Amino acid sequence: MASPSSTARVPRSAARGRHPGSATREQGPGAPRPGSRVRRQLPTSPWLFAAPGILVVGVFILYPFVSTLVNAFTDRRTLMPGEYVGLANFRELLHDEMFWTGLRNSTLYVLGVVPALVLLPLLLALLVQKNIPGITFFRSAFYTPVVASIVVVGLIWVWLLDERGLVNALLEAIGVGKVGFLSDQWLLLLSAMAVTVWRGLGYYMIIYLAALANVPRELHEAAQVDGAGAVRRFFTVTVPAVRSTMVLVAALSSVSAFKVFSEVYLMAGPDGGPAGEDTTLVMLVQRTGTGLTGRVGYASAISVVVFLVTVVLMLLVLRADRKEET
Amino acid sequence: MPIPRRALVAAAVALVLPLSACGSGDDSGGSTDASGKIEGDITFQTWNLRANFKPYFEGVIADFEKKYPGTHVKWIDQPAEGYADKISADAAGGTLPDVVNVSPDLVAPLAKAGLALDLDKSAAQYKKEYLDGAWASHQIPGMNGTYAFPWYLNTGPLFYNKSLFKEAGLDASKPPTTYDELFTEALQLAKKSDGKVATLANVPTIEDFGRYGVELMNKQGTGFAFNDAKGVELLTKYKELYDAKALDPQALTATPESSGKKFLTGAVAMNPGSALDLGNFKKQAPNLYRNIGITDQITSTGKVNMYVMGVMVNARTKHTPAAVAFAHYVTDAQNQMSFAKKVAIFPSTAGSLDDPYFTKEDGTDETRVRIAAAKSLKNAVNYTPVLFSEQMKTALRNEVAKALQGKESPKAALDNAVKASDRLLQQQG
Repeated sequence: MASPSSTARVPRSAARGRHPGSATREQGPGAPRPGSRVRRQLPTSPWLFAAPGILVVGVFILYPFVSTLVNAFTDRRTLMPGEYVGLANFRELLHDEMFWTGLRNSTLYVLGVVPALVLLPLLLALLVQKNIPGITFFRSAFYTPVVASIVVVGLIWVWLLDERGLVNALLEAIGVGKVGFLSDQWLLLLSAMAVTVWRGLGYYMIIYLAALANVPRELHEAAQVDGAGAVRRFFTVTVPAVRSTMVLVAALSSVSAFKVFSEVYLMAGPDGGPAGEDTTLVMLVQRTGTGLTGRVGYASAISVVVFLVTVVLMLLVLRADRKEET
Repeated sequence: MPIPRRALVAAAVALVLPLSACGSGDDSGGSTDASGKIEGDITFQTWNLRANFKPYFEGVIADFEKKYPGTHVKWIDQPAEGYADKISADAAGGTLPDVVNVSPDLVAPLAKAGLALDLDKSAAQYKKEYLDGAWASHQIPGMNGTYAFPWYLNTGPLFYNKSLFKEAGLDASKPPTTYDELFTEALQLAKKSDGKVATLANVPTIEDFGRYGVELMNKQGTGFAFNDAKGVELLTKYKELYDAKALDPQALTATPESSGKKFLTGAVAMNPGSALDLGNFKKQAPNLYRNIGITDQITSTGKVNMYVMGVMVNARTKHTPAAVAFAHYVTDAQNQMSFAKKVAIFPSTAGSLDDPYFTKEDGTDETRVRIAAAKSLKNAVNYTPVLFSEQMKTALRNEVAKALQGKESPKAALDNAVKASDRLLQQQG
């Protein structure tokens, strides 16, 4: 078999036994002559096929993105067209206590949620991977939170964790006493993280199930013959085999964890918990930029920071993966 | 393949378009002259009223169209949740309806953006039909003019759980009426119930500061002033309540829905509401309904808080005479009285509150609540400053929460809240 580098140097047509210049002649008598009208129209076709996609991306992604970038340098308000203010919004961010609170909480969310979402769904996938009777029920059950509405899920958890809810009733019954899951700043954040992890388990479990299906059974059998136990096989066979999937899960979950909104909003309320101490960056964007007196320019500046941090997170994950490979 | 020129042009347009957002807005608008012929198609937007009052509004619209042939009113209703966001999206997109149901705090930014018609110029002849205070409620400090017709007024009663009061050794027939009485009784209730029953479920709002007698803004209306000694005194008292669990521990994250639920379950002894809540208590908490007490809002000024709804005319409407005529029609004495008989609201038109419907007892709880509310409305005050935006409310709630948690002194918390509100006020322009 030729090495990839050797085939790369040879033109594909030549590799197939054709002369590079004979391509048009070989297309037969019906082929258009160079410079003909039909030939000039050909490049338009791919653009026409791609037009709907380009339009959607342009209107719903590119335009809002560029618009946000531009607004970040203005003092635009909801009903007032803004003026260019340079870096004033970014300078204000540095002195905005709530921005640093949001940055802290979003970062803590990544640190708390990502390791759990990388590891726990893998363990869950290993459990439900086995073909035993009734396993389909468990696979579906674990996936149910993913398809459930976040609002419904959030409200159920609020009822459960309320001072007079089921969890506190159980804790009181065993003598622990009431715990302020929804009134303590840190417990609120932890509770929201728990809901995010619980909701994400099923989704990432499916991704891991697909990856585990590609791990050759022989590797496990060989390791077993060599005397490796279940834990050892997990670290020496399973983890290396699904490492690229783990990186993917880490990248996906870190981006969504940094942009968390719904869970914290539903559990901590629109103010972001007591004194706004559980506010995340995306909640701050929503609170600052919406409403009739919304500061669109300032909210856009926060969005730009969220975007930059997200890009950095992705790069860090990819870099860690590359380092691991070398 | 070279990039086609058209693609380059498209990309350039995509990049340049957002820059146009920095330019001046579209100033093309409708006429302020409402004296022309009343005709044309107009749109009327209400705030979460279709579900319960569809026949009423359809009747009002049909009567108006009959009175003014050549007019057509399209009625749209928006849910309560996110109403301000819907209006702001419509206003920013140039699709604001011709006639809009608003509250004074929603009118302020719309008037500043030139989107609310000045009724002192276009409909001054109707001013005498309304209560003076109600007409003035849609005037914006720093601007000349009135920017919405006053519509219905409300002042919710305060409900209390008589059995919880009795269990704490309090006289259930004499509920607190001033803040001083409230603080004393709340501390006793918390002590007797060993911290299991709180009296209040919400942190103090700007209206509480107003009812306590705190000056909310300076005389010129250019800055906030609720961090004076009286304001600090109120917050210090609330801190005492919070520490004694007389203020619910979850009050810092409470919403009106969550505090209503706590009142239903007997975790909280007092809760503000409206006459509509009585039916809810009857259905969901019959035991509470049997023990329900109804009293006026707590106030140390002798004047309760009044909520005002208004009907604004879009300054850019293409049919100013029809839009002004319809906004007036919906809010005139006859229609307001008719609406008040369908739901527990109170007309803002002069003399309407003297109608026997608001003065004569018939022995039912609903009538008792209605008469008490109508009586207190006669000298009620809309304590919420019209310039006090949602962002300012959030800033105040956050600082109050810090003070209650002991992270800041009440004085420092209110100083910070005033500072943040003043900064937001300046940024509003």
